[in-house]
Amino acid sequence: MSGLLEVSNVVAGYGDGPAILDGANLSVQPGKVHCIIGPNGAGKSTLLKTIVGMLKIRQGSVTFKGESLKGKRPDQILRRGICFVPQERALFPKMTVRENLRMGGFSLADKSKLEKRIDEIEERFPILGERRDQHAGTMSGGQQQTLAMARTLILKPEIVMLDEPSLGLAPKIVKEVFSIMRLMADEGITILLVEQNALMGLKHADWGVVLDLGRTLFEGPAAEVLTDPRIQELYLGGKKAA
Amino acid sequence: MAEVIQILILGMALGGVYALMGSGLSLVFGVMRIVNLAHPVLIMAGAYVAYWAARLYGLDPLLTLPIAAVILAATGVILYKLVFEREARSAKYSEMTVLLTFALAMVIEGALGTAFTNTQRVTSPDYATDAFFIGDIFIPKGQLYAGIVSLAIISALALFLKYSRFGYAIRATTQNREAAELLGVNVNFVGLVSFAIGIGLAGAAGSLVSFVFSFFPAKHWEWIAVLMSLVVLGGMGSIFGTVLASFILAVVAAFIGAYFGATWSTLTFFVALFVVLLVRPQGIFGEKPELA
Repeated sequence: MSGLLEVSNVVAGYGDGPAILDGANLSVQPGKVHCIIGPNGAGKSTLLKTIVGMLKIRQGSVTFKGESLKGKRPDQILRRGICFVPQERALFPKMTVRENLRMGGFSLADKSKLEKRIDEIEERFPILGERRDQHAGTMSGGQQQTLAMARTLILKPEIVMLDEPSLGLAPKIVKEVFSIMRLMADEGITILLVEQNALMGLKHADWGVVLDLGRTLFEGPAAEVLTDPRIQELYLGGKKAA
Repeated sequence: MAEVIQILILGMALGGVYALMGSGLSLVFGVMRIVNLAHPVLIMAGAYVAYWAARLYGLDPLLTLPIAAVILAATGVILYKLVFEREARSAKYSEMTVLLTFALAMVIEGALGTAFTNTQRVTSPDYATDAFFIGDIFIPKGQLYAGIVSLAIISALALFLKYSRFGYAIRATTQNREAAELLGVNVNFVGLVSFAIGIGLAGAAGSLVSFVFSFFPAKHWEWIAVLMSLVVLGGMGSIFGTVLASFILAVVAAFIGAYFGATWSTLTFFVALFVVLLVRPQGIFGEKPELA
């Protein structure tokens, strides 16, 4: 079955440097949460950056709804409905929360529609409404992550890709971040999650993908990945899922 | 007391002109990370547009200002395409631009010298040598008009950056280029337009400089340290910081000039540049530099 997003034998890397992805494959099914796990340097973040057009595809193909994304700029890929929240959250620290949300809808031509959507977001995430005039750079890590994730909803995307959303956050805040992710998935948004905390990521996912040395080693239901003894040993630190 | 007010007014009026001269430099650095050492010589080019428009057609430099701005902005587009665009993704881009713009400054200076000679020039509209008097205090009309026009242009720029869609794109690109790109901003186009606006501001500033100061092609070397001190004190890339620094340094320089002599007045900017880099390299509103 062909996925919403298909990554086939992709080779990619940074600038003229060595290839980080060396034949990566991925089939993204609509409405599911996909968690990509793997050791440091496996190419997890590189894969997301390649999909979104930040890195050039040297070989292989990436298609979204059958259309090739090869050679497309990030703004062109965004307009097709793929949003990306990188590790560092990609906020504008000296812009207010409201201005950051406006930037989320930068590609929307209809300004009144944009303001309406921002109002809806503020209703769903009251903390963003309370802090609308505060500079994003002065908010806590959890609030910044909430803003970064909520901002993607302005465009009503089909796929949201999250790179290490729990990075640097307290456990209580991490739970909130994952519940926002689940909320997005329940609304039908397809999630592609890269998570260093593999156990936590897989527990919140429907589908698991194991990446190592730039190649896809395994793809399957998250529950299967969690219980596979070999994967547990190699990639989950020998921990068994509770 | 009247003397203090007098110096303050003169300093403030000059501060307005400095603010316009520095804001283009700050904008270009903020968005593109280009340390444009050619900015002052482009101001000189703007001054020559005003000078020849006055000389040949009797046009007032304030009326020539938009023409100089447009001509220089168009020059900015050409320079960006020819010189800066190709290397924009290089990790050493800022360092490279220092050398590139240094060479560019020499080329433009040479071209201006060949075309217009190295004779000192100044445009002389009637108001440039006239003044308003309030009691014992005089306000030179030329500096006052230049300061007001500068502030009007900077205010328009600030409103554009704050409220327009493209202004959002420029501010976003300045703060986080990668994030802006991810949210659908065509950062290459933003870079091109910002560079053109920055050089256009140099052209506008040149029109004002043409009747506030005398100028000749090599004069731009004197302005480099002055403009650098403004953008460094304000915080590289912060236009508001540059404007604030312009007023602070212009007023301080005016006081030092009045009490210690004009030579020491110029030194104010060099000392400020040195002290700021030593004590607070990020300036008033800039980001703290990351240690490698």
